[in-house]
Amino acid sequence: MPMPSDRASRPPRRRAASVKRRVAPVRVEAAVHPVVVLAAVAAGAGLLTWFAAGRSKPLGLAAGGRSYSSRGHDVTASAAQRLNHASTMLAASVLFDSGLEHYRGQFFNRAMYTPIVVSSVTLAASLHGAGDTDTGSSRVRHAVQALAGLTGLIGFGFHAYNVGKREGGYSFQNLFYSAPIGAPMALTLAGVLGVVAERVRDADPDEPHLAGLSAGRSLAVATAGMLVGTTLEAGLLHFRGAFQNPAMFVPVTLPPLAAALLVRAATKPEGASQATAKWGMWAVSAMGVGGVAFHAYGVARMMGGWANWRQNLIDGPPLPAPPSFSGVALGGLAALELIERSRIRF
Amino acid sequence: MRIPGLGNAADNPKHVTPGDDPEHHPRARDGRAPNVMRIGEWVPMRQHRDEEEVDFAIVGTGAGGGTLACRLAEGGLSVVAFDAGPYFRPLEDFASDESHQSKLYWTDERIVDGENPLQMGSNNSGKAVGGSTVHYAMVALRFRPEWFKTRTLMGYGADWPLDWREMWRYYDQVEDDLKISGPVNYPWGPYRRRYHRRAHEINAAAKVLARGAEAMGIGWTPTPLATVSAPHGDAPPCVYRGFCTLGCSTNAKQSVLVSYLPRALKAGAEIRDLAMVGRIETRNGRATGVHYFREGKWRFQRAKNVVVAGYAIETPRLLLNSANQEFPDGLANSSGLVGRNLMVQGNQAVWGVFDEEIRSYKGPPSLAISEHWNYDDKGHGPFAKDFFGGYSYMSQGPLPQLWANTQASAHGLWGEALVAEMQRYNHVAGLKVVSEYMPQERNRVTLADVKDQYGLPVARITYSWCDNDKALNRHALKFLREALSAAGGREVWDQGDDTCHLNGTARMGADPRTSVVDADCRSWDIPNLYVCDGSVFPTVGGVNPSLTIQAVALRTADRILARRR
Repeated sequence: MPMPSDRASRPPRRRAASVKRRVAPVRVEAAVHPVVVLAAVAAGAGLLTWFAAGRSKPLGLAAGGRSYSSRGHDVTASAAQRLNHASTMLAASVLFDSGLEHYRGQFFNRAMYTPIVVSSVTLAASLHGAGDTDTGSSRVRHAVQALAGLTGLIGFGFHAYNVGKREGGYSFQNLFYSAPIGAPMALTLAGVLGVVAERVRDADPDEPHLAGLSAGRSLAVATAGMLVGTTLEAGLLHFRGAFQNPAMFVPVTLPPLAAALLVRAATKPEGASQATAKWGMWAVSAMGVGGVAFHAYGVARMMGGWANWRQNLIDGPPLPAPPSFSGVALGGLAALELIERSRIRF
Repeated sequence: MRIPGLGNAADNPKHVTPGDDPEHHPRARDGRAPNVMRIGEWVPMRQHRDEEEVDFAIVGTGAGGGTLACRLAEGGLSVVAFDAGPYFRPLEDFASDESHQSKLYWTDERIVDGENPLQMGSNNSGKAVGGSTVHYAMVALRFRPEWFKTRTLMGYGADWPLDWREMWRYYDQVEDDLKISGPVNYPWGPYRRRYHRRAHEINAAAKVLARGAEAMGIGWTPTPLATVSAPHGDAPPCVYRGFCTLGCSTNAKQSVLVSYLPRALKAGAEIRDLAMVGRIETRNGRATGVHYFREGKWRFQRAKNVVVAGYAIETPRLLLNSANQEFPDGLANSSGLVGRNLMVQGNQAVWGVFDEEIRSYKGPPSLAISEHWNYDDKGHGPFAKDFFGGYSYMSQGPLPQLWANTQASAHGLWGEALVAEMQRYNHVAGLKVVSEYMPQERNRVTLADVKDQYGLPVARITYSWCDNDKALNRHALKFLREALSAAGGREVWDQGDDTCHLNGTARMGADPRTSVVDADCRSWDIPNLYVCDGSVFPTVGGVNPSLTIQAVALRTADRILARRR
């Protein structure tokens, strides 16, 4: 028996077809999930970046083949590598976090694909730099990092617009639940640290400068600012979670303290010991990694726990977010390395 | 160490339906009660023999009785709490099925009359351990301070014998216990402590309210709700399943069943499910215990004190039915006010169709609220107030069966016409008031000649609107129509006959001649008989009553414990 709804949904007759005949547009239909395509594109772009950045130069051309050191000999090269570790961490955090969150948002706006591709190439450039023991910058890496910095800023604009256009405007409700306003800035941080890495490679190893300022000191103050910014983002989202677990206070207390240590380090004379600040940076790095475990516990406390991971990874506390703290802290370590003018051993 | 939230705490799709039948066989027995937070688990329960004289026998385990039982047990008293309903395990017994979940309602026979007979048996009454909080809409609002003294300050109703500043402290306490999820700053009323969880994300229906309120130039806010937005012990955060008013199956909802009663059990209280109390016994002017029906026979539990907490229909019914030679008009009824001043609240709605998809059933039903008309006493222009009292209004999220019923009853749609209308279900949004009706002595609960399945006389509920109520209805509907149209609603229509909440049949007061109980909820006539539920409200205000019932229960517990010391 035909239901009324059957009748209602009958397609309209196509009269236009007899008037205008057109060649059907070419359609490529893939049987793979669009997310797989996106992942392949991101991975491909990353690989291309890797190859474009060229091969790292061997340490010495001694007979018996090439030998590589894990760390550049010059303090600038060593610090640059560490800066690339930082940008690697940040880019990876952005890649997985934006992937997860934008998947949650069903890529409602095409622009939401951007950070995934850009953070992939940034990740590749950063990894490439992390293995490069040489002084001297790479133009490809430099360009890619600058692109990341710019993309993050544009993303910030998109997110800020998204928050403001909702009912209630810039209210807590919208800051909590619409596009996270601070998240795209993590990509900018990755880009900035990556660009600085290239600049530091070019700097004079005996007296590294950035834009006319002492490289170490300016970088220390900058990373302190980055720590504070990341703290604000974590603070907002942990406030949304009502600090229901006391551990949620750690990322809003420890990083500002570490940032203060960094600022203090910048005021010390060059060559002075920076042990306290270094411990601070290592503590923040460890917190970022340990945060993943706490977020995993948070996922377990959602309805259905890990058995319902397909929902809870998306709606629970984001696993990839905390390591962005580690990324910034590694940047701080690079700054301390430059101030101390000596390589940090590990 | 047991880590909160891990193991079988949350809803697990792999679980099996429990083998027992909670609607016919009591679960709280043999020294244990269900652990409602964990699938298949039990918690130990202290039990008392009928002959043992317990400190408190509490009739009802809802917002009033359950909360009070918890605090009294935590204060070291021996407590037995009776409930006529089953002891449900939300993780296992609750289905995503509107018809099935009507098992939460008190659908025993009642007789309704008056000019505006009430519709009983669904949103305004519950029959389960935890009472109607098991299916309430979780809206957790405080009274406006002036409402505790409406007669003195605003010229209508009756004064409460309570001070709002004292109540504010108890509101703080209950909001902390239930981890109410509310806005960072609540826009109305005096300073209050911040809610313990952040407000939930608002759905499209709530955004309709927001747009309407902004267009009308009044304030709105995400609604404070008793469902957690971040974990709390074994309760996972709300997953916006939308079945809140039919039983939350994830335990995010902080009903009395999952909040105060587990605490009560831990503190040594006994809960008796499927135990219908039919009569309170008195001797020499004091209550001596309660007669209750459980497991096929009538029993008698001795008690030093009796608390009646059966909500505004069952409480007067029990008090009136307990009439004896000592108290021929019913217990605590020397004022003649038991059963009188029954107050419901207006629950009128306006509905409209929107171009965009709304899907209002997503998430808790009332995610946004405006209390503007509770705090604006004058109004202006077309919305000048010509009546006493106020109202709040909230966004709505009717589930499909309820919506089909609404369409069938309000518009007489059936068959193809109803099917066609239901095609637009996803595009419908509505605004619904909770409004303050006046206490009137003619609105009352009495006993009918008809007997129910326990052989007890059923309640006759007489209800009529007064002119003030009608004027309020007109104002509310007019305002809501404009707000909904301003938000983009088309084909706006009124649903003018709905009511909700039951209050005021054993009012509290400062004078034994004009009230049934005193400020401590103790009856004026019988010193060891208490009433602790919505019945004690002298006025209802324009907000959902549950939070106030619970705050009064917390206060009552403190007063009882203080007197003991």
